[in-house]
Amino acid sequence: MNATLLRTEIERKIPCAFQAYRRAEHGSIRTGIAQIDDAVQGAPLRALTEICGNWSSSGKTSVLLSLLAQATRDHFCALVDASDSFDPGSGQAAGICLPRLLWVRCGKNRVKLPPVEQAFKVADILLQSSGFGLIAVDLGGVPESVVRRVPLSLWFRFSRVVEKQSAALVFIEQEPHATSCAGLVLRVMTEAPAFVGNLITQCNLKIEVARGREKKPVRSERAGFSLRMQWA
Amino acid sequence: MFACFYVFDFPVQACLLPELAEARRVLHRSPLAILDGPANLPRVFATNAVARHAGIQIGMTKLQVETYSGVLLRTRSIAMEGVAQNTLVQLAGTFSPRVESTCPGAVIMDLAGTEKLLGPWKNATHTMVSKAAAAGLNLRIAIAANPDAAFHAASGFSANTIIPAGEETRKLASLSVSSLPASPEILEILDGWGIRTFESLAALPEVAVVERLGQEGLYFQKLARGRINRPLLTVRPVTDFVERFEFDDPVETLESLLFILNRLLQRLCSRLISASLATHELRLTMGLEVRQIQDGQEGEGYKHDWKLPVPTQDKNLLFGLVCIHLEKATFTAPIRKLTLEVIPVNPRVAQGNLFAPPSPEPEKLEITLERIREVVGSVDEEGAACVGSSRLLDNHKPGSFSVEHFSGMGGLPDFYQPQVPVSALRVFRPAIETSVQLQGERPHFVRLWRRHRRVLAASGPWSSSGSWWNSSAWAREEWDVLVRVPAGVGLYRIYHDYIRKQWFVEGVFD
Repeated sequence: MNATLLRTEIERKIPCAFQAYRRAEHGSIRTGIAQIDDAVQGAPLRALTEICGNWSSSGKTSVLLSLLAQATRDHFCALVDASDSFDPGSGQAAGICLPRLLWVRCGKNRVKLPPVEQAFKVADILLQSSGFGLIAVDLGGVPESVVRRVPLSLWFRFSRVVEKQSAALVFIEQEPHATSCAGLVLRVMTEAPAFVGNLITQCNLKIEVARGREKKPVRSERAGFSLRMQWA
Repeated sequence: MFACFYVFDFPVQACLLPELAEARRVLHRSPLAILDGPANLPRVFATNAVARHAGIQIGMTKLQVETYSGVLLRTRSIAMEGVAQNTLVQLAGTFSPRVESTCPGAVIMDLAGTEKLLGPWKNATHTMVSKAAAAGLNLRIAIAANPDAAFHAASGFSANTIIPAGEETRKLASLSVSSLPASPEILEILDGWGIRTFESLAALPEVAVVERLGQEGLYFQKLARGRINRPLLTVRPVTDFVERFEFDDPVETLESLLFILNRLLQRLCSRLISASLATHELRLTMGLEVRQIQDGQEGEGYKHDWKLPVPTQDKNLLFGLVCIHLEKATFTAPIRKLTLEVIPVNPRVAQGNLFAPPSPEPEKLEITLERIREVVGSVDEEGAACVGSSRLLDNHKPGSFSVEHFSGMGGLPDFYQPQVPVSALRVFRPAIETSVQLQGERPHFVRLWRRHRRVLAASGPWSSSGSWWNSSAWAREEWDVLVRVPAGVGLYRIYHDYIRKQWFVEGVFD
């Protein structure tokens, strides 16, 4: 039996035996930071993205606001703020169209649930109601020990739900927790800001792609970029 | 031509109006008596046909009625009779703009000019009866050339009647004179003469009637002949869309409450649809059994309003909003009565912007926001909303903003230009009190996270103040300081509040 005949025989029984699986392209939302967009084309739609950085001046919030500024041009977005730390002034300076951003401030009312649990519940509700192009959950101000206790099954469920939505789900954290459930993991680090006389003019940041959409990079990609201060 | 809508056994039908259609049908087949009067001695005020057939008469006491087996007793509801009459007027208003509310349970409308719209009168009466049945009312309809002939035919005959012009006297001939709006004295005189039907009264000579009964007698004779033509005293349908319900026994369970609310909303939405209107505001008022103290306010009721970003006629949407809210609401007393009101507005007739980005469906968005509010709460301790879109206030106070209702319809501002990425501030709410050690006039050490940390670099001071003319005055001196923290270096914004004479950490640039 020659190879062609053998292949035909196998394909007759198992039609997909020799077809390579290709993940469907769903597009992405650009971050507005050229270095990140060149490396990963922005935050992927129908996938979970994690933007990580330490709790103090890592630059993760700036990346998020830049992403929201780009996203609100074409979509309605939601920001689930677990620690109520979003600054509308910074958002407007970053270019966010505030009327198109639904801001959910967790932990501000005397309700029984802790803020992290509120944030996850709200994200779940938002995912179920279609119409938002980007849903960002800011856990950057929540202690790492609290976020670490979130079960992996929850991340897995989020990744499965967002696959069916034409939306990007972005988490801001200090460390990545979604492991293989994340389609993209970015680590943001900062360096000392630049001064001009008495004035801080810009912050220099480094970004590392810890996990890409297609496969985990063998060697993490790093890129550096600068963010100007709001008043510079 | 004029048409009269007559609701037979009006108090009974009004009492059964809140019931579901199926339950109403069952109740109409059962003997039912409506009681009215003082609580210690209620008497039968109205009955349905089955009850009359069983021998129950108007004026019987409750005790007498209870000797009959299987008789259902209800208390008369003036409020429901008002609702039923308003429903009747609104129903007539869908066929003609000129409607007279003649008496409880009867309306007369002018059909002039509607012949082509409604078609043959026989078909029109079928349409009217079916529409009324959908609204929960069983009608008898009469169409005649003058209002009073239509009214007497509708109230006197047991079937729908169409009286051609000129045949009023012949058609009304068999009706009893007791249906005329005459005083008991006149009716007694007529009875003494042996005049018992319209035909007998109409046959009397006019001059003789005037000589014996005066102009009033002549008026009744003309009524009996169906010859009186008068203008209608038109009314405008009450524009408020309100549904009320009073429980016989106060309810404590959510299921019972939602069951009634669902029906009230169904009726409100049906009325909105029939009037080609929608609503953008729903108001719920609940009367509680006893006085209660809730949220620091003493009162016997509970009120809540829902405002929608777009007008809707969707009952399921409104019911969903009510359900979500009531599931988290707590009451200290059972609920006695309900009032639901919707504010009517013109419905949304077109898509707002064809080129707008895909947005959450406005009707579903309100449900989503309500569910989110259930999780995170509605407002914070300072009264600002927890869910919405932020808006910067037009003042110079740092960090002043308001949270407004998220409508899902915001467009890009005309002056919108994409910005280059900037460093963002993560705000600590409320600002963290701290202590700062100065060297000269510049911060040297800042207490952060329970430790004094050396300031590596500082940018400032940036002084600002405002509102000094009122009680919300503020004055501060800002510094952006670079300090070393366990995670590396951190760029923080600290400020000295001149009024409170205290240093605060406002946030961190992240």
